[in-house]
Amino acid sequence: MNLASPELSLHCRAVNHWFGRKKVLFDINLRLRRGQFLGLVGPSGCGKSTLLRGVVGTHLPREGEILIHSSGGTLVPVMGPGRDRGIVYQRYCLFPFLTALENVALGLMLDQTSIPFRLLAYPRWCRMRKEHLQQAAEFLEKVRLADAAHCYPHELSGGMMQRVAIAQALIMKPEIILLDEPFGALDEGTREDLQKWLLTLYQENTRAIQRGESPPYTLIIVTHELTEAIYVGDRMVGMSQLWDWKKEGHPECPGATVVYDKPCPIFEPQDAKDYQSFARQRDEVRRAAFDPKVIMDRNEYVTYWKDAPV
Amino acid sequence: MIRRPIQPLTAIALGIVSLALLLGGYTWLAHRQHVQNPDDTTIPKWSQLMDGVVTAFKVDKRSGERWIVEDIKATAGRYFLGLGVGLVGALVIGMLMGCFTPIEAFCYPPLSLLAKIPPTAAMAVFFVLVGTELNMYVAMIAFGVLPTLALTVYLAVKEFPEELQFKAYTLGASHTEVICSIIFHYVFPKLLDAARFVIGPALVYLIAAEMLVGDVGFGYRIRLQSKLLNMSVVYPYLAFLAAFGYAMDYGLRWLQRKWCPWFDKAQG
Repeated sequence: MNLASPELSLHCRAVNHWFGRKKVLFDINLRLRRGQFLGLVGPSGCGKSTLLRGVVGTHLPREGEILIHSSGGTLVPVMGPGRDRGIVYQRYCLFPFLTALENVALGLMLDQTSIPFRLLAYPRWCRMRKEHLQQAAEFLEKVRLADAAHCYPHELSGGMMQRVAIAQALIMKPEIILLDEPFGALDEGTREDLQKWLLTLYQENTRAIQRGESPPYTLIIVTHELTEAIYVGDRMVGMSQLWDWKKEGHPECPGATVVYDKPCPIFEPQDAKDYQSFARQRDEVRRAAFDPKVIMDRNEYVTYWKDAPV
Repeated sequence: MIRRPIQPLTAIALGIVSLALLLGGYTWLAHRQHVQNPDDTTIPKWSQLMDGVVTAFKVDKRSGERWIVEDIKATAGRYFLGLGVGLVGALVIGMLMGCFTPIEAFCYPPLSLLAKIPPTAAMAVFFVLVGTELNMYVAMIAFGVLPTLALTVYLAVKEFPEELQFKAYTLGASHTEVICSIIFHYVFPKLLDAARFVIGPALVYLIAAEMLVGDVGFGYRIRLQSKLLNMSVVYPYLAFLAAFGYAMDYGLRWLQRKWCPWFDKAQG
């Protein structure tokens, strides 16, 4: 695939990262197509969040580069955090001093205005503010939270907060939305609701592709739940430090790398979760990334670009 | 059970009972004192206290002003100016320290040292540096409250979750926007909370300074009337100070509720 193709949203090229003597990431190579929902899994401490921080741009990798599709149509290296990457964390997902509506509208304010503009062109700012709040209200409706627009985060449930946080990211129309274990603290029912809601976003992607348009949402979801990664994502990537690094001549483990990369079955929001259909893929990921007794070549299960439909 | 909730009415009743006990205790003490010495002025009776209040409110023959009016004007002016300088200074220094590590490294050691010096003990330094006029009172209050307040703001900024900071950047915020539009809003109610805690100490510094070098103001009047054993004036003045402190505290709490309605409940 041509790297300059607008179809590619993200490209991690030979990314290595370490903290002091502790080696964390080794030779991470990952290409993500626009419109993909990628589930990123791996054992605790394997560097999933480190990779995510690299993509966000708050902690850049020591070696290698992370490229992101820019508005100019080319891939440009990530140099720091920017409005083209939205992030939703498990904790601290909303600004506590803003209502749900203001939280969603915040990005528009920060992106389109400055402090001097808001002070010196106050009447124009008031008009813009109205438009921002109107747009934010539409996004809250999209996440089915129109009734909670004027609630502060502490007045919302965990699931509602995450939906507002996702709306906050969506309104910026970022190139990629990164979800860092977003549903980890939620109960099973709420989690399943939100997973189904993410599938409705995927449906919008599918419809956009059918209309010949560019899919609007590209998403990476970091999760501990293998089932969640398979259900929500159309592709699953497993990272692990449990791979055969001796075979490649390393005297010690050089860090976690991608040991699993395969497409996932695509579900519709109305489809029931069929745990049986997940079983084979779950076993594969467990073997590749989680089982310390199974040490194999890191490319054994990295077959996405061979298997995936073009 | 520890912290078992009680009915609001019970809480109000208990508060009234405690105040009644305080007033009753004073009445009994004054009565006992006057049985021993009918001309006593150290623990005045309620009627004597009323006379003291009248004295404070009536026009003084020598100055042509009412004591209470000139004292309130002098003390309140010094107090609000000093507290204002202290609060603004603390906000700026605390925010800069919390946001920029070189400023943190530069300011933290002297600030934590200065926070340990009681300003009343350093009064002579203020005489030398800024004289004995208004500047001295302002400097004393500001110096007294600034280090503690600045450290409170600094710690509040440090508590600001980095996830929210990163998120603000992904929403297109500049560094200035993160500081002024995000962190400031997060820290502001904590500054109001901290300001409530320095209302009392700031009054202590001011009254102490007025007692030493003032020729008008609450501290001056209390010192003068205490020397004359006119406690019927001193006690009402203390009551005015308590009422002022309470009103300030209530006002700041009201402002906090009005400007930061999210704060109390978000703190759990």
